[in-house]
Amino acid sequence: MATVTNWIDHLSASEVQGSVYPGVGSEGVLVIIAILIWVGWHVISSKQEDGKMNEIVRKRPSSNDWKSNITDG
Amino acid sequence: MTDQLGALTSIFTEFYYWVTVVLMFLIHVGFCMYEVGASRYKHHQHTLMKNTMLIPLVTVTWFFFGWWIYWAFPTGPGLAPSIMTESTGLVLGGGFGGNDLANPTNALMAVNLNDHIMGVFWAAFLLFSWTAASIVSGAVIERITTFAFGILAIAIGSVFWTIDASWGWHFDGWMLKILGYHDAYASGVIHAIAGGFALGVLIVLGPRIGKFSSSGEPRNIGPRNPWLVTVGLFLIYTGFWGFYAACNVPIYDLGPEYGMEGVTFFTATNIYLTPTTLSGITMNFLMSLSGGLLAGYVISKGDPFWTYSSGLAGIICASAGNDLYHPIQSMIIGMIGVVIAYKMHYWVEKKYKIDDAVGAVAVHGYAGFVGLVICGFVLNGYPSSGYSVGAMWDGTNYAAINPLGMFIGAIIMFFVLGMLPGYIIAKVLNGMGKLRIPREVELAGLDYTIMEEAKEDEKAVASASR
Repeated sequence: MATVTNWIDHLSASEVQGSVYPGVGSEGVLVIIAILIWVGWHVISSKQEDGKMNEIVRKRPSSNDWKSNITDG
Repeated sequence: MTDQLGALTSIFTEFYYWVTVVLMFLIHVGFCMYEVGASRYKHHQHTLMKNTMLIPLVTVTWFFFGWWIYWAFPTGPGLAPSIMTESTGLVLGGGFGGNDLANPTNALMAVNLNDHIMGVFWAAFLLFSWTAASIVSGAVIERITTFAFGILAIAIGSVFWTIDASWGWHFDGWMLKILGYHDAYASGVIHAIAGGFALGVLIVLGPRIGKFSSSGEPRNIGPRNPWLVTVGLFLIYTGFWGFYAACNVPIYDLGPEYGMEGVTFFTATNIYLTPTTLSGITMNFLMSLSGGLLAGYVISKGDPFWTYSSGLAGIICASAGNDLYHPIQSMIIGMIGVVIAYKMHYWVEKKYKIDDAVGAVAVHGYAGFVGLVICGFVLNGYPSSGYSVGAMWDGTNYAAINPLGMFIGAIIMFFVLGMLPGYIIAKVLNGMGKLRIPREVELAGLDYTIMEEAKEDEKAVASASR
C-alpha cells in the first residue's frame, strides 16, 4: 500500500512522482465509496427527520408548549 | 521548484490562499450567528444545524463535481471558442470534459509534491460555495426541512454558482468574450445568483405562519437576539476581506503573460488577470462598506438590523468593479445599491407576499444585480480580461466591458442561473412533500423534541440546591 518507502530514493529520482498518498491508482474506487456514503447520508438523515416530524404531528403540542421547557437556573 | 525565487513565489501563493480560506471561514461563522439571532427561540438549534450541515454537503459534492464543472464549461459549452489551446500553452489536461485536472480522480486532487496550488484554490472556491448556500439558508429559516435545504444547498453551492463562475469568472469564460462581463469580487457570480435562487425557493416555500395578516399586510418578525445578529454581521464583514483577497492573484508578471517582449510588470491581478492592487481594493472595500452603512442608517431610520445588513449590501453592490473604482465611486455605488435593495425588499414583500426572513434576496440579490448594471456604465470600455490583449487570444477580441453586456449578465446571474433553478427544484421537492415542515411542527417549534427530551434534566438542575 505504501507509495513511498524511502524519501531519499523518491526525491532523488529523475522525475519526482507527485502523488504520495497510500494506494495510488485506487482513486476511482475511493470516489465511488465516498459517493455511496454521501447518498446514504441523505437517505438515513431524511428518515430520521421524518420520524421526528411525525412524532410532533402525532402529539400536536400547542404553539406555546415549548415555553414550559425553558428552565433558566 | 528547483530555484529559490520560483519556490518562494509558489509557496507564498499557496500560503496566501490558505490564509484567505481561514479568514473566509468567518463568513460562515457569521452567517450561523446571524441566522440564529434572527430566528425565534423554539427554532434556534434547527436553524443552526441546517446551516452547519451545508458545510459537509457542499464540501463533498464540491470535491465530486463542483470544482470540475468550473474547469469544464467556460466555453458554455459551444458558445465561444476556448483560448486553452496548444498555441497559448494554456492546456490544463484534456479528455474528461474541457479539462480533467479537477476531476476527483485526478492526481492533483490530493497531496501532490509537484503542485502547491490546486488544494488551496479548490478550498478558496469551496468557501465561496458555502457562502452561496448560506445566503439561501437565512431566507428560508423556521419552515424548511433539513433534507430539502441540503439538496438546495448542493444545487446552488456545487452546481449553479460554479456554472456561472465558469461562464463569467474564468479567464476563458464565454461571458467575458461575448458580453464583456466583469465581476471582480462577485456581485453577480455569488450574490445575485444566490439571492435569485433564494427568491425562487421562497416563491414555492411560502411565508412563515403569522407573517402576513388576513388582509395581507406584512408583520415584522424581528431578530430575537440583536447581539448575535450584530456580531454575526461583523464576522461576515471580516470574512469578506478574506474573500476579496481570495479573488486576486497575489503576484504575477504580466509582461510575458500578455506577450509583451522584454517587459516585466509584477502586480496583483483580479481573477481575469487584469492588474489591480490589494491596497486599492482594501480602500474600496471600506468605502463601499461605509457608503452602505450611511445609506442604510438613513433609509431605515436607524434600524440596527437594516443598518448592519446595508453595510454588507454596500460592499456587494460595489464589488463587481471594486478592482478599478475610485474609493468615492465605491462609496456612492454602495449607497445606491442599499437604497434600491431596501425599497425593493418591502415592495416585493408586500406585493408578492414573499417572506425573506433575513432580507437575503435584497442584500445579496438586488444589491448584486444593481452592482453589475452600474459597473457596466462606470467601467464602460475597459478590457474584460487580461487575455483580450496581445498574443493570447487567437479568436476575435474579447468584448470590452459595456452596459448592455453587464445587464444581460445580471439577468443570467439573478434569473437564469438563480431564480429559475431555485423555483424548479423547490417545486420538485414540494411535489414530493419534502420541502416544508408540517404546520404542527412549525407552530410547536423545530426544537420541540430536543427541548422535551432535555426537560426533566433541566428542571432537576434548576431546582437543585447542591
